[in-house]
Amino acid sequence: MADVAQLVILGLLAGGVYVAVGVGFGLVWGVLNIVNLAHGALVIVGGYLTWQLFTDLHLDPFLTLPVNAVALFVLGYALQRGVINRIIRAPLLFTFLLTFGLNLVIVNVLLLIFGSDFRSVTPAYSGEGLELGSVVIPYVRLISLAVAILLAASLAFILNRTRIGLAINAIAADRDAAQLVGIDLRHAYGVTYGLGAACAGVAGGLIAMIQAITPTAGEPYTLQAFVVVILGGLGRVSATVVGGLAFGLVEAFGQSLPGSGSVFANAIAFGLMVVVLVTRPQGIMGRLR
Amino acid sequence: MIARTESSARWKRAFVILGAAVAAYALLAPLTSLDAVQSAGVPLLADRLWFRLATIIAMFVVMATAWNIIGGITGYAAFGNVAFFGIGAYTTGMLIAKAKWPFLLSLPLAPVLSSAFAALIGIPLLRLRGHYFAVASLGVGVAVGELVQNIDYAGQPLFGGATGLFLPIDAIDNRGLFFFYLMCGAAAISIAVTWLVLRSRFGYGLIAIRENEDAAAVIGVNTTAYKVAAFALAAALTGLAGGIFSQWNVFINQENSFPIEYNVQMILMALLGGTGTIFGPAAGAVLLQLLIQFLGGTLPISFEIPFVSETVRPILAQVILGLLLVMVVIFVPRGVIDFFGGRSRLSLSSLRRSLRDTSL
Repeated sequence: MADVAQLVILGLLAGGVYVAVGVGFGLVWGVLNIVNLAHGALVIVGGYLTWQLFTDLHLDPFLTLPVNAVALFVLGYALQRGVINRIIRAPLLFTFLLTFGLNLVIVNVLLLIFGSDFRSVTPAYSGEGLELGSVVIPYVRLISLAVAILLAASLAFILNRTRIGLAINAIAADRDAAQLVGIDLRHAYGVTYGLGAACAGVAGGLIAMIQAITPTAGEPYTLQAFVVVILGGLGRVSATVVGGLAFGLVEAFGQSLPGSGSVFANAIAFGLMVVVLVTRPQGIMGRLR
Repeated sequence: MIARTESSARWKRAFVILGAAVAAYALLAPLTSLDAVQSAGVPLLADRLWFRLATIIAMFVVMATAWNIIGGITGYAAFGNVAFFGIGAYTTGMLIAKAKWPFLLSLPLAPVLSSAFAALIGIPLLRLRGHYFAVASLGVGVAVGELVQNIDYAGQPLFGGATGLFLPIDAIDNRGLFFFYLMCGAAAISIAVTWLVLRSRFGYGLIAIRENEDAAAVIGVNTTAYKVAAFALAAALTGLAGGIFSQWNVFINQENSFPIEYNVQMILMALLGGTGTIFGPAAGAVLLQLLIQFLGGTLPISFEIPFVSETVRPILAQVILGLLLVMVVIFVPRGVIDFFGGRSRLSLSSLRRSLRDTSL
């Protein structure tokens, strides 16, 4: 039984990262109808920001997260206004290819700047943890989970309680009607993508504390974000939170199976996704739209 | 109006003649490397480097043309076709390396196994539409590569594991020439298949699915069977290319048999040349592969970028490729070929119009 408890705790902690990665991806997908293949690259941009600030200015890595959010928001807003808005009415293959192209550019620019060495962020408390019986929970992981939940809550607050958030919701419901009532679509699209990028930036900061990062380390996260959003159900932040935690649990249990290991992470993720898509396409928490 | 039609017809004819001349040169030039021809005093028109490049280009012609069947004609944005390339490569590779089959006997099994796999996963996957199908197929591409590398049987990696699979080198005279023509044969087959498909009842059914799947079902197209057949057909051709690749390259591993970037390259090639056409993807494959090799500095004709060291160059090539992808998607979504004898002419106003159609 202790093993199961340990797996549940590990799974939920790992799920925190998936929640952080998933919420931004789900927002962009749900509102803009873009599967953002550059999401993982934006995550890693956040990771390098945290690493740079931690190494040069000796900032506590958790304090760099707001910086990431602001910087990535600006980058995301600029990308949407300058590039993605130009093909938003094209068939989905084009937005798909466009975001892949952006991913290629961002990843290789990072390679030019930082090289392909592994970088990790290790604050003084990174080795310490909370002892619960036989289980040790690293503080970093615990705070990361809390930050991820806080991030999701803030995003839900922005979407449901602020003027621009309501505008974004209106666009998700009906783009043309939203335009009719006077919402500036270009700006609102920019803000939506910016918010998605900001979430990615925060997620990247968390990831840099948990694993060593390279410019290409973000690619698995794009795919996993997709699975998380499918798992929870598209269209609500709370559903993505459930999806992220559920994904963490599935991964933890999947990796504990005999004869398996972390090498099958993607195979497990996609097997799960295909099963969910075929049996329950609206996700665990989703409503049919 | 008439003058314009005439000039566009002239453009088209010039373009076809140019294409035929290039193809003829590419097909015949390698023959000059034969000993018999050399001793007759014919100048060498293509060396080994060109061979290798031309074989790679032919390989991409196969893959882009195959993708066109599911992506261009049927309209399903498959993002994981590299899985079929890898399965083809590993089928032939395993049969040759482990079962000691001769190459020509094991090659036909590559497309058979690839298309069987495609039919198997196609039945659940092709029920998905839009983004869901695109990413699910991308996931399959990633997952299959991972499984092939990591599956163990009785403690031993079943498919060569992370070290990869070494094939015995086949004793064929003029090996480079043999595989070049084999790959060209595969390219010709894939183009011929596309031509046949587009003229058949099957092809019209696929186009109907692309234009409106529900309407296609209403007029009596068995959409599931058609989609799965198109997917399996694309997989068979891609698997054939993979099978040839494995014996040509003699060494296969996850990295060279399941490269994720091939997924996007084959789509970009089809897009560049014009999706849904017969020769478009092939033309796009030649153009883009030459560009990729040129940027990577592996072409005999090369260039120096100032202030750029040799190590940084491949990375910079990727950046340029990414920017090109963004540019093509934004400005010429109907393919470059469209400007040559197609519906529109290359002009600033047509670029602007295309931009206005899609932007917010």
